[in-house]
Amino acid sequence: MDPDYHTPIRLERIDSPLKRELKELFSIDVDTCLECGKCSGGCSNAHVFDYTPRKIVQLVKLGAEETLLKMDALWICLSCQICLDRCPSGIDIPRILDHLREKARRKGIPASRPAVGLFHELMLGQIRKTGRISEIGLMLRFAAATGRYGKDAGLGIRMFLKGKLNPISAAVKKVKEVRRLYDHTADGKKA
Amino acid sequence: MQERTKTALVIGGGPAGMEAALRISQAGFNAVLVEKGPDLGGTLRDLHSSFPKWENPRGLIDHRIELLRKSPRVSIRTQTVITAGTRLDAGFRVRLKSLRGEGEELMDADAVVLATGFELMDVSIYGEYGYGIYPGVVTSLEFESRLRQWDHGQEEKPRGVALIQCVGSRDRSKGKPYCSKICCMYTAKQAGLVKDQFPEAQVYVFYMDYRAAGKEYEEFVRQVIEEKHVRYVRGRPAKVLPEDGRLLVRAEDTLMGIPVEAAVDVVVLASAIVPRPDTRMLAGMFCARTDEHGFIENELHEPARCADRVFFAGGCGFAVETAGALSQGAAAAAGVIALFNENG
Repeated sequence: MDPDYHTPIRLERIDSPLKRELKELFSIDVDTCLECGKCSGGCSNAHVFDYTPRKIVQLVKLGAEETLLKMDALWICLSCQICLDRCPSGIDIPRILDHLREKARRKGIPASRPAVGLFHELMLGQIRKTGRISEIGLMLRFAAATGRYGKDAGLGIRMFLKGKLNPISAAVKKVKEVRRLYDHTADGKKA
Repeated sequence: MQERTKTALVIGGGPAGMEAALRISQAGFNAVLVEKGPDLGGTLRDLHSSFPKWENPRGLIDHRIELLRKSPRVSIRTQTVITAGTRLDAGFRVRLKSLRGEGEELMDADAVVLATGFELMDVSIYGEYGYGIYPGVVTSLEFESRLRQWDHGQEEKPRGVALIQCVGSRDRSKGKPYCSKICCMYTAKQAGLVKDQFPEAQVYVFYMDYRAAGKEYEEFVRQVIEEKHVRYVRGRPAKVLPEDGRLLVRAEDTLMGIPVEAAVDVVVLASAIVPRPDTRMLAGMFCARTDEHGFIENELHEPARCADRVFFAGGCGFAVETAGALSQGAAAAAGVIALFNENG
């Protein structure tokens, strides 16, 4: 439904392959939505979302896949799972967003927030390489790529002093297994 | 000295009236069941099926008709109307008139049960929906017979059906301020039936909020949405327009705040439920009060009673589903029986 407000949406022409996909892949049935908005009420980031969780489910029903793949909420969702926890019908909205992010990436649709996309990429690259996340390494790499060294430095130091950051991070023993997992799930492409 | 058996006059042969007459007779009293139409069963007789069980309501009607016919204490008068009623010391003298032109007769009743039922508001005042202009626009009661015709393979198969709730109900401007209570349920039922008959058809229900307050009602509506795949669109349509031989329904999807349209072949208007016009006159005859809409008002904290020796049940009091009408019929009978047993 890319907002073309000059022509009303024709309901009889609506087709939502995405809706079928979600049902087949994850047994998510958006028709069970009660439209109560408890997901949006609980959402940590709803105030900055272009489409709140309830609207996201509604967009799935309307078959507005393009809007969903381009929306800002896709990249500022924290995946905190509150929407799922609150939903009386148990609709797994975080899973829907995961699916959409993967799909956007596969289709080459750029993240509305380039830094978020970059962060995802760096994190996955690091796991692929070592099998785990090294917070310090990831933060440094992210800072280098964005040129914003100062932004998280203060927070980094505070976290370090509280023992939340481990400077030594060894790779897991069976990194090869992790890589095989990557090759298996990422459509054979490098993540 | 043997007292004569007391007699109740039951006006209206729908489920509420039938149930009342049946129970009164089962308690050992006489019941005269007067029905204006040719058959017993009331509006229920015209319905394709019931909610929340998807049953054919004819079984329920026929069973009661059989029991009523068998009872020596029940007298069924179809095609009969009440033309006059006067209060006596302990009861009423009532004038019955046969519509088959057999003249009038007088009877004495020790109590009266009003069960005159309901009808649908005239929705042709809503020019925007085109009722009476486009043949594809029908009321919900007319649609029940359409469903039966489809059962028999008559009429063209629909590709799309839109059912519009709250036509006349919850409308302080042109309609009634009240919620008609049963439309959410029968609309869900009708939408589900279309899907059963024509799984390929696109079926939409336009609603503001669906009110499914009853045992198994919520589950019923969810079944229609989730298993029968009826599309519920939240918004009150404002236009029905002809388009290429079909009908275009225009509304706002209020969940997204965007205008939507649906091309369909049939538009079903869930029209507001109103009392039958003769209810007010009959209530007046037996000293019962009616409200501003013409529904019978009960006496404060007195279930099913609306005046001395006068009881009521079913749609003449307010919109009610079949199960409720039967319960009210039974409650009215209980009132009559208690009164008669009190030697009153």
